[in-house]
Amino acid sequence: MGRLRRSRTHHAIRDVHRAARTRARTRDLDQIQLIDLDPKNRAKLEAQPLDFEKPGLAQHYCVECAKYFETDVALRSHWKGKVHKRRCKELKEPAYTVEESERAAGLGREGKRTSTTVASMATPMQQDT
Amino acid sequence: MRIDKCYFCSKSVYPGHGSAFVRNDAKVFRFCTSKCNKNFKMKRNPRKVRWTKAFRKAAGKEMTIDSTIEFEKRRNVPVRYDRELVATTVKAMKRVAEIKQRREHAFWKNRMAASKEKLRAHRKRKLEAAKKVSVKLTEPMVVESPQKEKVREKIKVSAKSRSALIPGEGRSMGMEVD
Repeated sequence: MGRLRRSRTHHAIRDVHRAARTRARTRDLDQIQLIDLDPKNRAKLEAQPLDFEKPGLAQHYCVECAKYFETDVALRSHWKGKVHKRRCKELKEPAYTVEESERAAGLGREGKRTSTTVASMATPMQQDT
Repeated sequence: MRIDKCYFCSKSVYPGHGSAFVRNDAKVFRFCTSKCNKNFKMKRNPRKVRWTKAFRKAAGKEMTIDSTIEFEKRRNVPVRYDRELVATTVKAMKRVAEIKQRREHAFWKNRMAASKEKLRAHRKRKLEAAKKVSVKLTEPMVVESPQKEKVREKIKVSAKSRSALIPGEGRSMGMEVD
């Protein structure tokens, strides 16, 4: 038997690469949590001026998912969906930041000195058993 | 020289190594390897990826509250060089590292002791559950069966059938004629 299927039919690889490009980058969770979800910013995002470049003229925007929708019906059905609910759940816990990565590595900031460090600096280190 | 920490795995990133990503709000994310960079691009949460420092700290696998951890700090105002200060600092670093290692070992031992107990309890529970619902296994009966031997019997072919009319001297595959 000869070959039945053409090679290079996996377009998903191409799409994954395209979605990972910097220009296609969507807002990160920490940005949404710290900036967008603020009531003032939220109101601004939900009432954007007409933009012909954006889907649905930027009139139907989901703040949590940072996504534009074509119609109000689409936005409403999105709010009821699994993707949106999962995203809301992710947004509930505090976002991971650069500071946390440094803390995990054991690197602190000079300004925020806790009382324990001051005490340990003043007294010579004690040997533990 | 500033040694940064990787955003994803919290490893040290030395000058000339790794890569950085600057987001459009001017926040800099540094990565030690392409592995960490790719994981960041996939929008993974380092707290949920098991091999990162952030996971280990969040899951209670490493010390989080300890005085030895709090020595390393980012200093935004450089200290004027002083030979004596450097000497004492180096000496203190060695001492702190020694104490830290010992404390980490103690922490690990403590953690392992707790987990071992947990494992033992789990095994015990499992064993009891298995005993309750155990099925008695019996050996299948052995049936003595006479071994069949292939016996080849000689088939006599009458000389009469060897007629000239039937091809193959009477032993042909053709239909028999009675």
